Amino acid sequence: MASSDEKPGPTPVAGGEGGTPPGRPMSVATKLVEKGASMLQTLKPVRQMKQHACSFALYGHDLGRQIETHHYVSRVNQDFLQCAVYDSDQPSAHLIGVEYVVPHRIFETLPSEEQKLWHSHAYEIKSGLWVSPGVPEMLEKPELEWMTKSYGKFWCTWQVDRGDRLPMGAPALMMSPQGVGSGSVRPDLVKSRDERYKISTEELKESRLEMEEPEWIHPNADYWKQHGKGFKVDVVETDMKRRAPFP
Amino acid sequence: MATSHGEVPGEPTKTVTSLVETAAATIQGFPPISKIHQHLCAFHFYADDMTRQVEAHHFCSHQTEEMQQCLIYDGPSAEARLIGVEYIVEEGQFLALPDEEKPLWHSHEYEVKSGVLFMPGVPGAVERRNLEKLSKTYGKTIHFWQVDLGDALPLGLPNLMMALTRDGQLDDKLAQDVENRYGVSFTKERDNRAYMSGPDHGIHPLANANGKGLKMELSQINLPALNFVPRVFV
Repeated sequence: MASSDEKPGPTPVAGGEGGTPPGRPMSVATKLVEKGASMLQTLKPVRQMKQHACSFALYGHDLGRQIETHHYVSRVNQDFLQCAVYDSDQPSAHLIGVEYVVPHRIFETLPSEEQKLWHSHAYEIKSGLWVSPGVPEMLEKPELEWMTKSYGKFWCTWQVDRGDRLPMGAPALMMSPQGVGSGSVRPDLVKSRDERYKISTEELKESRLEMEEPEWIHPNADYWKQHGKGFKVDVVETDMKRRAPFP
Repeated sequence: MATSHGEVPGEPTKTVTSLVETAAATIQGFPPISKIHQHLCAFHFYADDMTRQVEAHHFCSHQTEEMQQCLIYDGPSAEARLIGVEYIVEEGQFLALPDEEKPLWHSHEYEVKSGVLFMPGVPGAVERRNLEKLSKTYGKTIHFWQVDLGDALPLGLPNLMMALTRDGQLDDKLAQDVENRYGVSFTKERDNRAYMSGPDHGIHPLANANGKGLKMELSQINLPALNFVPRVFV
């Protein structure tokens, strides 16, 4: 199954409405057992996610399919972010993928075949699309300036926007909003986000006008812009190297 | 081999940056993350190479009674790298998947009953209450970072991962290393878990890659006509 497949035919788990996984709300028993366990476990890696950012992403094989994203960001060091990405900021949010972020100087060290899988962030930041809800802009400024000069690699594992009630198929490579043509985010998506958070992307864009831009964006990033082609991922059969019978 | 802990390239986080982050974190609440209540340790191997095995730390939350979503890290510490995701569904949901999707999912019965999957820090009795349900479920695991190759960054394509399904698959050294570090005994736990059972309808023949190897392939495609933009200045 390819990441770019048409929505799988209607089954109880695909082609449904709203992308809700089929299933009952958690039972009290399950909640209690989980609570008991969680009080004993420190969950340290998860505690490292210290920032929530809301933005938008485009499917790399079909830029017209655009989604609102919620990144929960963990800074590993000054030059690397790892983000768990969800489709909302609610407890019911679906885990839709993972994004990694590096600054320009690290991006430059990557082989060119690898660079093609990454996207730039300058436009997304300067246009006001990327926002940390509830955090004053002034507090955010150093982080935003860093992000403006960074590149991201984002794999989407659950295509909720096409109605999948469970994660189906191969992961999809995602691209970032860009200032030209097909890279623009649909105004209705932005409006809906802005209304929910009572913010104005336009105003954020104004306030970020003075923010430093990168001197240049690496031409291998945002591959579709220069080449008009997207990437899709397929799962294919192959030989499995084994050390014992399987399954 | 045990996962290597190569350094992620980069300068240590500056004080200013981390202060900003802490300030931001106290302002924002993180509902999807706050729901993560469980830490599970297990092993995955690459769906095209059983000899490449990875210790996988799952941090899971319930979406519903029947469905969980997990972040996978290469260790339990604050410095751990986010290497993948796993989704876990109950048998009924798995059976409802299209047949072409089923091979991407793996069964959990062996991992649970053999004792190699465990919840660090949780006493056996509580752990078993969780695991007796897990034994009947199926999972879909995708990794993005080949830490077993010593990659300092998440390079390349995503990898579909599979789970252990029988004795003889798990590398002894990897197993012992985990047992020593966590002070657990897989064989002892196996006895404690003998009462558990797998999926009610038995493990579906299409699960576990339908017994084949699977890998991801990337290809370029022409973008739909509306998308294509002739070369413009950036």
